[in-house]
Amino acid sequence: MTKKIEHSRLNNGMTIIAEPMDVASVAFGIMLPCGTARIEEGCAGAGNVITDWVMRGAGEFSSRELMDKLDSLGLHRGSSVGTYKMTLSSSMEASCLESAIQLYADIIQHPTLDAEQFELSKQLALHELAGLDDNPNQKVMLKLRELFYAPPLGKPAIGYQQDLSNLTAEKTREIIKENFNLSDAIITIAGKYDFEKICDTISSLFDKPQAPFECNIKKGDRKLGYTHFDHDGSQVHIGLMVEVPPAKDKDYYNIMTAVSILSGGMSSRLFTEVREKRGLCYAIGANYNSLKDRAGISCYAGTTPDKAQETLEVTLAEFKKLSDGVSQDELDRAKIGLKSSLIMKSESSMSRAASLGGDFTLLGKVRSLNEIKEKIDAVTQDSVLEALQRCNFKDCCIVSIGPKEVNATGIL
Amino acid sequence: MDFKHTKLANGLNIVGEVNDSSQSAAVGFFVKTGSRDESAEINGVSHFLEHMLFKGTDKLSALEVNAAFDRTGAQFNAFTSEENTVYYAAVLPEYLNEVTDIWCQLMRPALRDSDFDMEKNVILEEIAMYEDMPHFDVMDKARSLHFKNHPCGNSVLGSSDSIKALSAAQMREYFSRRYSPENITVACCGNFDWDSFCKLIEEKCSSWQSGSATRILSECNGSLEKVSIKKENLSRQHICQVWPSVSAQDKRKYVASLLGMILGDDTGSRFFWSLIDTAIAEVASVQYEYLDGAGAIYSYIRCSKENYELVSETIEQELEKLFKDGITQAELTMAKNKVLSTVTLKNELPMGRLIEVGFNYSYLGQYKTIEQEVASIKAVTAEEINPLIKDFDIRKFTQVTLSPAS
Repeated sequence: MTKKIEHSRLNNGMTIIAEPMDVASVAFGIMLPCGTARIEEGCAGAGNVITDWVMRGAGEFSSRELMDKLDSLGLHRGSSVGTYKMTLSSSMEASCLESAIQLYADIIQHPTLDAEQFELSKQLALHELAGLDDNPNQKVMLKLRELFYAPPLGKPAIGYQQDLSNLTAEKTREIIKENFNLSDAIITIAGKYDFEKICDTISSLFDKPQAPFECNIKKGDRKLGYTHFDHDGSQVHIGLMVEVPPAKDKDYYNIMTAVSILSGGMSSRLFTEVREKRGLCYAIGANYNSLKDRAGISCYAGTTPDKAQETLEVTLAEFKKLSDGVSQDELDRAKIGLKSSLIMKSESSMSRAASLGGDFTLLGKVRSLNEIKEKIDAVTQDSVLEALQRCNFKDCCIVSIGPKEVNATGIL
Repeated sequence: MDFKHTKLANGLNIVGEVNDSSQSAAVGFFVKTGSRDESAEINGVSHFLEHMLFKGTDKLSALEVNAAFDRTGAQFNAFTSEENTVYYAAVLPEYLNEVTDIWCQLMRPALRDSDFDMEKNVILEEIAMYEDMPHFDVMDKARSLHFKNHPCGNSVLGSSDSIKALSAAQMREYFSRRYSPENITVACCGNFDWDSFCKLIEEKCSSWQSGSATRILSECNGSLEKVSIKKENLSRQHICQVWPSVSAQDKRKYVASLLGMILGDDTGSRFFWSLIDTAIAEVASVQYEYLDGAGAIYSYIRCSKENYELVSETIEQELEKLFKDGITQAELTMAKNKVLSTVTLKNELPMGRLIEVGFNYSYLGQYKTIEQEVASIKAVTAEEINPLIKDFDIRKFTQVTLSPAS
């Protein structure tokens, strides 16, 4: 079922990675080395301003003309600012690919960057940040990630109020100039396309010489332990995160399996213990989250104040219990769950284009679906246990937002 | 793609769309019941019942159900709306029968008192969770205000009070009235064998007793009232507007859907240019939603307290302009292209097809191919949209605003 993954590299270093699929659509993502960790100190949130600003006119087109052009192609557009890369993406009916790439070549290389438009982009970013206060469940996970990875790695894409307020058009232009460097950029494409033709188009549009891009990101000091933010809402929103090996580690598949046992399906341990047996939460779940050299299992639980303490204790106990081992039945369920979700995700061009980019950024290569399947098949009870025993779940980062604090002292 | 339909003697409809090139299949049970089919006394029972189906049968415990599902690697869940309760699973073809078999069993649940009491806690937590999501809260309140005495205004979750007062016996009574086979459509899409699918459904579901679940339909022009509620813990202004619109049965469904997109799609719409591009609001979206015998267009807007008046004036001007001048050909073309690419992307996944095929049959007893759906969208003209703007006077709407107290 897996088709060949295709690669090409332009003279300036820009990488093209593509995977053909039997579908009528195509999706692409252009990843630029302008992630949160690469944007300098004091400018947190600039990435969000930039993704909006570059769409406000490019090449010969005004803001309105550009938007109309993109909308006429029926594009489903997206943008995200990750730790390392900023991604501008689109999915569409396959025949629109060439025209879409042409417009994005202008957006990335010839954005108008008008100063008046900058103020609007900045206002939107400030509003979005202010809106986070009304989304405690989202805010708790951003705070958790920030403390767990520590700046610059954990810096939230949504930014800080002070940084955003101080940001100027001039400064932001400099950030764009420095970080929209094609030598470290990637274009991923998945779906229906002609590889040779699209490579020719991309070469002709993007192949201008680039200075090599160097960027060393230092690791900051993490803040483990417990942090609480007051919010007079109905629930206490709890986030917790523990360290595990990153995606490039040999234990990656063992850890993925362990996370699936912890929180993959409805028979997973957290769902069973926290929700089914005790009725403590509606929303409870854990995910694996990896950067290049650091990774964590992050967990969210939302619960009313009276149940918050028990929720935290039961949840944390399940993390610790993992290193006692996993049953064969749990292991089998986790493996089939991982494989099924992999195959089903591969049916969507959007999701496949995003996976290609994620892999390349974290691993420097793209894994084929068959390779992933084989690695999942190779996971055993023993291999999971060995991997888990190498982890230290005692060093935990806990954040809560809500009307009541939890007592984490005895637990940590 | 190949459409199939059959009906069991007890009234259960089975529909399928076979696509051999899919990697997976999706199966769903579409029960025509939701909060509009509840009385005030049992408000929230449809959604609570949806949770209770996962608690198993006389032969299966909740934990056994969860393990049985997870052994198939399926991505499964359920959702409840004002008028539908849908149970679904996306799964690799080799596990389809196993998953379908579990669903068939769960459709005749045990509804045990002990499970009911435990799950009540989870439902109350879910209600609390949505209270902390002003986006959801404002839309829920606006729907209630708009539909007022029309049953579509009933809250899907119910209130903490209605849930606390609900008994397992009331739920069992509701179940026996609403989950009869003629009120359910079973659908399957993707890579599967129709004959063996039907055989399994027949074997498992033929014994279900027919009933007479009915629903009285009525149109709703909406209360058109405006309410502002202050909440202590908010930092932004959350606004939801509701306009009356056409029903699921109305041929103008696609017309209404395109109108919603022209008014408030995420990009390039009237609200986008007047509210988002100008940065006076950070979120502005509009969506048409069809209902059985009724319909509505909803907006959700979020902005600062300071900008609220400006946002309201801008919206008023935009609606006035739309009412007076109608839409342009260029914006219609753009809206169509966006809808068409959505259709292409959605239909690539068996799960996307399942929802389309299931609802189409459940509401209208119809099947529409992707090509027919595309043709219906392409056929919409500005001459159809403009009268709709006048018929349901776009300048008049129901509105709820949640605002920060200080």
